[in-house]
Amino acid sequence: RPAGVRRPGGMGPAPAGAQPRGDAGDPEMMEPPLEGTVKKGKKEFSKKHTVAGSPVEGLLQPVKLSRAELYKEPTSEELNRLRETESLFHSSLLRLQVEELLKEVRLSEKKKERIDAFLRDVNQRIMRVPSTPETELTDQAWLPAGVRVPLHQVPYTVKGCFRFLPPAQVTVVGSYLLGTCIRPDINVDVALTMPREILQDKDGLNQRYFRKRALYLAHLAHHLAQDPLFGSVRFSYTNGCHLKPLLLLRPHGKDEHLVTVRLHPCPPPDFFRPCRLLPSKNNVRSAWYRGQSPPGDGSPEPPTPHYNTWVLQDTALQSHVQLLSTVLGSALGLKDGVALLKVWLRQRDLDKGLGGFSGFLVSMLVAFLVSIRKIHTTMSGYQVLRSVLQFLATTDLTVNGISLCFSSDSSLPALADFHQSFPVVFLDSSGRLNLCADVTASTYHQVQHEARLSMVLLDSKADDGFQLLLMTPKPMIRAFDHILHLCPLSRLQAACHRLKLWPELQDHGGDYVSAVLGPLTTLLEQGLGARLHLLAHSRPPGSEPFCIPQWDISQDPPKHRDSGALTLGLLLRPEGLTSVLELGPEADQPEAADFRQFWGSRSELRRFQDGAIREAVVWEAGSMSQKRLIPHQVVTHLLALHADIPETCVHYMGGLLDALIQGLKETSSTGEEALAAAVRCYDELSRLLWGLDGLPLTVSAVQGAHPVLRYTEVFPPTPVWPAYSFHKHFPERASLLPRPDKPCPAYVEPMTVVCHLEGSGQWPQDAEAIRRVRAAFQLRLAELLTQQHGLQCRATATHTDVLKDGFVFRIRVAYQREPQILKEMRSPEGMISLRDTPASLRLEKDTKQLPLLTSALHGLQQQHPAFSGVARLAKRWVRAQLLGEGFTDESLDLVAAALFLHPEPFTPPSSPQVGFLRFLFLVSTFDWKNNPLIVNLNNELTVEEQVEIRSGFLATRKQLPVMVIITPQDRKNSIWTQDGPSPQILQQLVVLAAEALPILEKQLMDPSGPGDIRTVFRPPLDMYDVLIRLSPRHVPRHRQAVDSPAASFCRGLLREPGPSSLMPVLGYDPPQLYLAQLREAYGDLALFFYDQHGGEVIGVLWKPTSFQPHSFKASNTKGRMVVSQGGEMVMVPNVEAILEDFAVLGEGLVRAVEARSERWTV
Amino acid sequence: MVARRRKRAARDAEEGIPSPPGYSAVPIKFSEEQTASHYLYMREHRVRDGAKSSWPQKRTLFVLNVPPYCTEECLARLLSPCGPVQSVELQGKPELTESPKEPKSKFFHPKPVPGFQVAYVVFQKPKGVSAALALKGPLLVSTESHPVKSGVHKWISDYTDSVLDPEALRVEVDTFMEAYDRKMAEEEAKAKEEEGVPDEEGWVKVTRRGRRPVLPRTEAASLRVLEREKRKRARKELLNFYAWQHRETKMEHLAQLRKKFEEDKQRIELMRAQRKFRPY
Repeated sequence: RPAGVRRPGGMGPAPAGAQPRGDAGDPEMMEPPLEGTVKKGKKEFSKKHTVAGSPVEGLLQPVKLSRAELYKEPTSEELNRLRETESLFHSSLLRLQVEELLKEVRLSEKKKERIDAFLRDVNQRIMRVPSTPETELTDQAWLPAGVRVPLHQVPYTVKGCFRFLPPAQVTVVGSYLLGTCIRPDINVDVALTMPREILQDKDGLNQRYFRKRALYLAHLAHHLAQDPLFGSVRFSYTNGCHLKPLLLLRPHGKDEHLVTVRLHPCPPPDFFRPCRLLPSKNNVRSAWYRGQSPPGDGSPEPPTPHYNTWVLQDTALQSHVQLLSTVLGSALGLKDGVALLKVWLRQRDLDKGLGGFSGFLVSMLVAFLVSIRKIHTTMSGYQVLRSVLQFLATTDLTVNGISLCFSSDSSLPALADFHQSFPVVFLDSSGRLNLCADVTASTYHQVQHEARLSMVLLDSKADDGFQLLLMTPKPMIRAFDHILHLCPLSRLQAACHRLKLWPELQDHGGDYVSAVLGPLTTLLEQGLGARLHLLAHSRPPGSEPFCIPQWDISQDPPKHRDSGALTLGLLLRPEGLTSVLELGPEADQPEAADFRQFWGSRSELRRFQDGAIREAVVWEAGSMSQKRLIPHQVVTHLLALHADIPETCVHYMGGLLDALIQGLKETSSTGEEALAAAVRCYDELSRLLWGLDGLPLTVSAVQGAHPVLRYTEVFPPTPVWPAYSFHKHFPERASLLPRPDKPCPAYVEPMTVVCHLEGSGQWPQDAEAIRRVRAAFQLRLAELLTQQHGLQCRATATHTDVLKDGFVFRIRVAYQREPQILKEMRSPEGMISLRDTPASLRLEKDTKQLPLLTSALHGLQQQHPAFSGVARLAKRWVRAQLLGEGFTDESLDLVAAALFLHPEPFTPPSSPQVGFLRFLFLVSTFDWKNNPLIVNLNNELTVEEQVEIRSGFLATRKQLPVMVIITPQDRKNSIWTQDGPSPQILQQLVVLAAEALPILEKQLMDPSGPGDIRTVFRPPLDMYDVLIRLSPRHVPRHRQAVDSPAASFCRGLLREPGPSSLMPVLGYDPPQLYLAQLREAYGDLALFFYDQHGGEVIGVLWKPTSFQPHSFKASNTKGRMVVSQGGEMVMVPNVEAILEDFAVLGEGLVRAVEARSERWTV
Repeated sequence: MVARRRKRAARDAEEGIPSPPGYSAVPIKFSEEQTASHYLYMREHRVRDGAKSSWPQKRTLFVLNVPPYCTEECLARLLSPCGPVQSVELQGKPELTESPKEPKSKFFHPKPVPGFQVAYVVFQKPKGVSAALALKGPLLVSTESHPVKSGVHKWISDYTDSVLDPEALRVEVDTFMEAYDRKMAEEEAKAKEEEGVPDEEGWVKVTRRGRRPVLPRTEAASLRVLEREKRKRARKELLNFYAWQHRETKMEHLAQLRKKFEEDKQRIELMRAQRKFRPY
């Protein structure tokens, strides 16, 4: 018997690889002194942890070590460890993280003992299962009623006999034995060698072996199910292959989730002749499979490479485990590496289903790399991970396969033979079995893509590389720009016939989903061409993607169509998305016919500007959002044309969220065009300003400082042409005014533009005088613009409003030295020092940092066209949750920008949908307490600077706002989050995002349709104490509401350009004016929440602390009244009067004030 | 008579509306329609001995908790039955001195949004104060004869007021700048006059306008000088020259590593506590 074949009954001397991780290898045991400190730290921490609500909980503190500790003589262990860290790991943090992760996923010794005991029991029970008399394979009457054969027996008739005999041998194989299995879901694979007497000659033909295998399991299942030892006995598939069921056994009672034992029947060694199972051979006869006689012309039977591989896999179970145990053997680093790789694969959903890149595959890959000396046995787990990723990233197994077989036997088939039958080739040590037989080219490319991304991440030396690499899940919906579901799956059967895939069907034993997968993905990849970066698919079977089905033994196995839907993920190339043209060959070229055949009726002959006449396909797409959705058109067209899959079966999830950022009337665009129009108008205006004649100082710079000018305004402005009859006129000031008897006029927000003037010594050096001079400039600007360009202008002391082509700009003149003058303070000694004052900070923010940020984000939009959509969706959502006032516009824009500048472990989003999902993910998972969000605009911060920023952050954490966003222009203060959000509001946002993300992802992953996509945009209202309902008549942006009303009020706008001699009503938004009043008067008693985009309700939350009765203070009587409570005079809020005040202050706007809780009547 | 009335008011307050000691509470409502009311807490304006106050003693009424819709004119109207009112001043918080008399420019100091305020009401006679303290109310801010705008009407009139006359602004700016220029010219002339002229002890004042430029007396400039000195010194120093310097550099490196290690360990502890190592 070979050494690897051992009975778990006795467990015997386990192979070297099964040795539990030696004590000597345990990092903590290695260094007693260090361990002591770790323990101490833990204890301290747990003490801290028990102090509920203490502010330091979960907060990193700057490390303080005494001088004596820092400079004591190092011990040799310490030096060793430091050296090891330096040479084997990237940093000490990474080392500690890896160690922690391994501790988390590795099986404990205690559990191992319990599992071993269970395995011994399993072995006994299996051996005790009674034999059965021999029957025909087609006669299955002997099977008891409670169990069904776990196989689709199509066609049913198979010659041959079957009887059950206890297995000749029961062997533990797989990762449990090797010590590389990872928690949770511990699986122990047990191979049952069927006795030779059961099998007959030629069992390899026509699924006869698989039928016997299934019957073997059925009988076993029936007997084991009656045993009280087992908590559950179910069937499943081996790696998702539907011809190879397996039996899952779980212990009874509290250990039920401890372990799953998987029974794999396998043939006796050397039963099948390997040469019969080469990929070029046929083992499923057409005559049998299709029920028809072979064609008379003597055409050869089609080869059945997959079928052959599945048989071969069963014969090689033990040799593989032997190989792995010799390689991994005692090399702890290799085992760690395999465990890390398994986690890596699992986070990316790559390891499950038929053709997944399983843990076994990756172990074999490690063995291969050891054999070619790319990996050495002394390497650390981290180095193994890195080497494997490096190998995956730089090689292409679809072109140059690899093999573990180094024999020069000429009878072995060549790699090239395998390349003909399989997309990906990785041969095992026998040289006959392709380990990657089921791996599709798409899956392999996905693995390659992930490996490449991970390598970039590892090389970038990012601080949180570990977190992004191994701890961040990458579900399909969040990783791919567009998702599409093909459902019902039964349509794919028709597609198989249309694509003439009968040999593949025969090979796959009728699994039309797997059979069609390869050709289908190739078709789409070809069609999407330059638009596509990567195409991934879910791996059948499984009702949810990437999950192998399990079923009760009394049920039939799930049908192919039961696995729900085939889900495809498209990762798009933004630069390919701008073109509406598919350029084909010239008309007289021979390839033209292929092109026509491929595109069908969509291909047209077109004459181009250079005179060429070419075949071409032109897609209808006017706007950016439609161009983004061209892949949808391509996919539906190609699937209908070539695969007979009608449009109704293609459920495309790409632009569903677009509706939320679409303009009021426009449904074909998500506003990028309108924003671009506004930006163009701004460009023209800035040219006018540059060339203005007659200003005492010339304009030196014009900078935008408004969300529109960085493409992040949720609803872009449209040119306004007010109807004069709708307004009151104010001819002396050339202005229109709102009329009390009409609904509120349209809301027009002027776009702020900062205008810098050239430097001059003539400016006064006094703050008040500077303001007057600036005012004079504002007046002069208005005058000149009206005189020289005929623009309607209105000047005030701080700005000049300009009406240009229906857009309104607010020009603010800035003087560079003004913030500095505001900062100057003269000490008693006459020394002038600079100190920040609120006024100087505000001015600096408005005239310096805001324009810088605006131009940086404007640049980002040019690089990533999806930025605008993502930022606007994100803002829209935050505001729809009534939290908009807590966050500055800029802070949310920066969070959105972070998704593009630091997309790891993803790639920058190319569609608003995926960007928005990642926004929710970022917001809900980011640890704001201990980390600044660094947004490295224009890549200006070096790695060292970022490290410095992080340590500076820790040292000054307490003085910083709760949410810290760092940009190259703002390295310390996080100016955009200084005034909010408060910790409570941020917490609320985190909670809401964590709730919204799974709901939205579920909707988008639901092949039957997303349902109501606006669900996550509707705010919960039951938490508020008072609701103030507003009358839509005076809500100018009523039409922007999440649930846009069918009808609203006229807002006094003309459709056509009208006269522009009067300035429209600017910035008049009654709800905002109302809120300002409420906050000023009742701000210390309550919080007010409102959605500025057409909200019809204001949520009011009483502040519990302000409702504590307190004694009378002259400085704190606002809205309170004195009551006698227990003989004492105390002050409490005068809630009845305040509620009435709400109605009084908002007369005309407020429809009703609903007090919903009685909390204030304490 | 007055004393009796005051006593009754005090008793009323005790029995009816509770009020803090020393104050009397007067209910105030926006109009007839409201059922609940706010309470003005009033007392005579007094200051502790020694504290200065620009408000006239005896004649000034101090009012707390004035609701946001109640303007100065309103308050004057509501209190005029108690006696002729000389002035009403509304403020965010109690302040002892009167605000400067010169009116703030409406161009450069836009009116803030009002909240709850305190008021100093100066009557022409001390009698007004005691009469006000005895008021029973409820006072009505908006009545048919004197309606007060609120809500949409108020916002529209505020918007109308915010559209200002640029000509007036120009005139104001011009007058301010003329005055400013005059002031600057005077200062300059004075400085010129004094330049180079020693004072009685013989000191000569050096100014920016002198013939030779001098270092400006700012903090930034002095810091710059210090920095330059430091750099100069650092350049002269030799590094890793002596053996002890070597040793120290090495030790410093080790200390850095140790510190980093401690930091990392703390980070790990935190992550472990947050269950950050559960991969899925």
